[in-house]
Amino acid sequence: MDTYVILRRSGWKDGAELGEAAERSTAEGERMSDDIAWIRSYVLEERDGRVGTVCVYQATSPEAIRRHAGEAVLPVDEIIKVVDTVLVRPDPVPSAA
Amino acid sequence: MATAAHDDHLLERDGANAQLDADLERARLGAGRVVLLGGEAGVGKTSLVRTFAARHEHEIRVVWGACEALFTPRPLGPVFDIVQRLDGFAVAPPTTAADRAGFFSALLEDLRSHPTIVVFEDVHWADEATLDALKYLGRRIDSAPSFLVLTFRDDEVGANHPLRQLLGDLPTATTTRLSLQPLSVEAVEELARRVEHSSRGLHEATGGNPFFVTEVLAGDGGDVPATVRDAVLARADRLSPGGRRLLDAVAVVPGSVEIWLLEVLAGEDFAHLAECLSSGMLIPTGAGVGFRHELGRLAVEHALTPDRRIALNENAFHALAAHPATEQDPSALAHHADAAGNGEAVLRFAPTAAQRAAAVGAHREAAEQYARALSYHATPDHDRLALLEGYSVEAGLTGRYAEALEARQRAVALARALGDRLRLGENLARLQGPTISLGLNEAAEEGSRESIEILEELPPGRELAFAYTAQGYLRMLSRDNSEGVRWGKRGLDLAVKARDADIEAFALNTIGTSYLMAGEIETGRPYLERSLDVAHEHGLPSRVANAYGMLASGLGEMYELEESERWAVEYIAFASARDLDTAYIRSWLAADLVYLGRWSEGTALAQELLVDDVSAITRITALVALGRVRARRGDPGVADVLDEALETALGGGHLQRLGHVRAARAEAAWLAGDATRTVAEAFAVYDLALEKRHIWFAGELAYWQWKAGALVDAPDWIAEPYAQQIAGDAWGAAAAWAARGCVYESARARADSGDEVLLRDALTELERLGAQPLALDVRQSLRTLGASVPRGPRASTRENPAELTAREVEVLALVSEGLQNAAIAERLVLSRRTVDHHVSAILRKLNARTRGEAVAAATQLGVLER
Repeated sequence: MDTYVILRRSGWKDGAELGEAAERSTAEGERMSDDIAWIRSYVLEERDGRVGTVCVYQATSPEAIRRHAGEAVLPVDEIIKVVDTVLVRPDPVPSAA
Repeated sequence: MATAAHDDHLLERDGANAQLDADLERARLGAGRVVLLGGEAGVGKTSLVRTFAARHEHEIRVVWGACEALFTPRPLGPVFDIVQRLDGFAVAPPTTAADRAGFFSALLEDLRSHPTIVVFEDVHWADEATLDALKYLGRRIDSAPSFLVLTFRDDEVGANHPLRQLLGDLPTATTTRLSLQPLSVEAVEELARRVEHSSRGLHEATGGNPFFVTEVLAGDGGDVPATVRDAVLARADRLSPGGRRLLDAVAVVPGSVEIWLLEVLAGEDFAHLAECLSSGMLIPTGAGVGFRHELGRLAVEHALTPDRRIALNENAFHALAAHPATEQDPSALAHHADAAGNGEAVLRFAPTAAQRAAAVGAHREAAEQYARALSYHATPDHDRLALLEGYSVEAGLTGRYAEALEARQRAVALARALGDRLRLGENLARLQGPTISLGLNEAAEEGSRESIEILEELPPGRELAFAYTAQGYLRMLSRDNSEGVRWGKRGLDLAVKARDADIEAFALNTIGTSYLMAGEIETGRPYLERSLDVAHEHGLPSRVANAYGMLASGLGEMYELEESERWAVEYIAFASARDLDTAYIRSWLAADLVYLGRWSEGTALAQELLVDDVSAITRITALVALGRVRARRGDPGVADVLDEALETALGGGHLQRLGHVRAARAEAAWLAGDATRTVAEAFAVYDLALEKRHIWFAGELAYWQWKAGALVDAPDWIAEPYAQQIAGDAWGAAAAWAARGCVYESARARADSGDEVLLRDALTELERLGAQPLALDVRQSLRTLGASVPRGPRASTRENPAELTAREVEVLALVSEGLQNAAIAERLVLSRRTVDHHVSAILRKLNARTRGEAVAAATQLGVLER
């Protein structure tokens, strides 16, 4: 599987809506586990007051990511393939939300 | 064959027995299954199946067929053995490929109406036609309350073994795979203890192989023999001299020997039959007697002196040949004649055996019979010529193109030496099959030219009909369409006069396809449809497949996508029912779906094909379909697939493949913002497309040059939507694309317009499709015009999982208002048929059975709100 970054800009009204999307995403990811694996996501505070995400996935093809998004009803603005990873520090522990 | 002891309970087989019983139970409830029972020779496969059958034969019918270890097995032999034992099965054994399909389906029907356990033993020796029968039954047995058991030696089935394909083709959901392992040390000790025999070194020497163990335990109790063969021979040597000689006679007949034949072969030794049976080395079989196990037969056969082997086979041959011709089995006669080194007899029977094998689709066996005959016939005469011709055809049909070509070349040389101009001409023309398959088109061209020169000097007949048509076919392949038509028509004329339906169907196909490729759809289609009719009428399945294939791929290449899709679906149904290959046409279906804007369906199909080991042309078509979508979505991995497509297409150098690949690469370069590369790709095969007057390739390549500002001149005959776009008629082009169902291309045309209304319209469609790069361009164009740019669609509508087209959404909206199709047609100024088509597409895409369900589903998906 290759690693991909997926941009989902301003995809949701608020954190609650995003939470529901995350549940659908997880459930669909389980069903498609041969083709796709969700690694991590960063939630974005967008300028229009909505929330978006930058997600890191592993997948067998960009089409698998699209299929997953279609089934889980997630927006996809752009899929970018990751060719190398430079790990400097571990991800910061999320501050209390 | 190998019972590990004279005891109904087999050691260490409880798990396999339980599995078989459980699977049978499921089968009897109507969900039939296949069991693949693998294991080395002598491991006890047959014993296991025998005890299984014995447990159930009081409650369910059991029939057996065994494949034999002949170099060239009798085509469909095991299948015939089985149907003979099916009471009331009245369909005659097939003698042609056309009968075969009916025979297979009658057999399946019988297994549907009568629950049955069908055992095919030793299928690693099965002939090609039997393998086809097993594939046919194995893929459909789940609809019958019957149970198919196939035993085979898994250690003898290498990567290139003919059985390998069948094993891969059986559906995993309804197939159970069992592999029998040799016995453990404890089990071998237990067996030895039962007959009060020492078990020292026994497991080590036999590897736990039950047959080997049994042979040793039946021996004289001395040292453990080193090999199975030694064990068998040691046991055989304990028989009286007459009994031992009787074994020799049985050993020259693979499988089992009928009693009358054994009497002839054994002479006075026949009196020792009872002794051999009671020793356990031979067992009664349905029609006679045979060795308890093939390993036993082989051991005894290999120990024969050459003289004795020849004498026994010669006797067997004469005994069988004395039968009336109608009852003779030419493959058995050829086998014994060959083993006796009797060349004259081989030449009498091998060609007949080859023809019978070919007639039922056992092409591998047919080729081997021809090869066997050729090895006895070196005299350069007409008989040898006929054998070479037969071999070439059969080798070609089994995909051994290099061998087919070599035989054909020898046939050409021989016909030349014999001064037979007619056969020379025909053989030259028929070089075409293997040369094209090997990509040696130049050799095909040379052969075709010379064949016509020669045959035109002779009175016209079917040979010249074929030569003309073959020339037309070559012209069509290189897209010299008017020449394809001209030669095809000459061939057709002669084929009709010679009343040769095969060549007639071939010629009609060549003419029709040539017209299609010239963009003359209306003229070409009726020829292809007639080709289809002629092929159906005369039972020529491969010509039927060719006609469907050309209708699907040819109309696809001409952007008649909805029609191409319909033919592709029909072809796939026809071919699947006959187990013909569907991959190439499925790759066209993937392309159709992509150009019709059904991207998810199209890419899923393309990816399905790309995981398999498919032919180069299938791969190219699937890669291009996938590459187009990735480029249009702005997804990564475009270069991966389009570079591979180019590399593969360059191998052939034909416009038919290169046109697609270069056009897709030009589009991808443009969408990636690289104008220089766009021009380079669009120029690469432009001259060739112009030379061949390919309206779509020339059109698209000219369009990309125009987009990149590099178009010098485009001819006026290119496909309409491209001509309109280049001429600045974006609205007309958009309408022309929409009429073909090409939603993305239609939006692209509107995107070229510079008109605010059309641009907004295009943007909506592009965002619905998820066509990111072009949508961004359109937003930029709107900004440049000073127009307000709509925000991107919301998550709920950004992905349209049902992939309805704009037109379908429009129709659906009217459906939701309660309008019937006629009223919708009137409202949208469409034909009633078109609306019918849209509505059925909507139902399919929304997975709805009724219009009400479709409306509900669409509302839930948010499709109808827009």
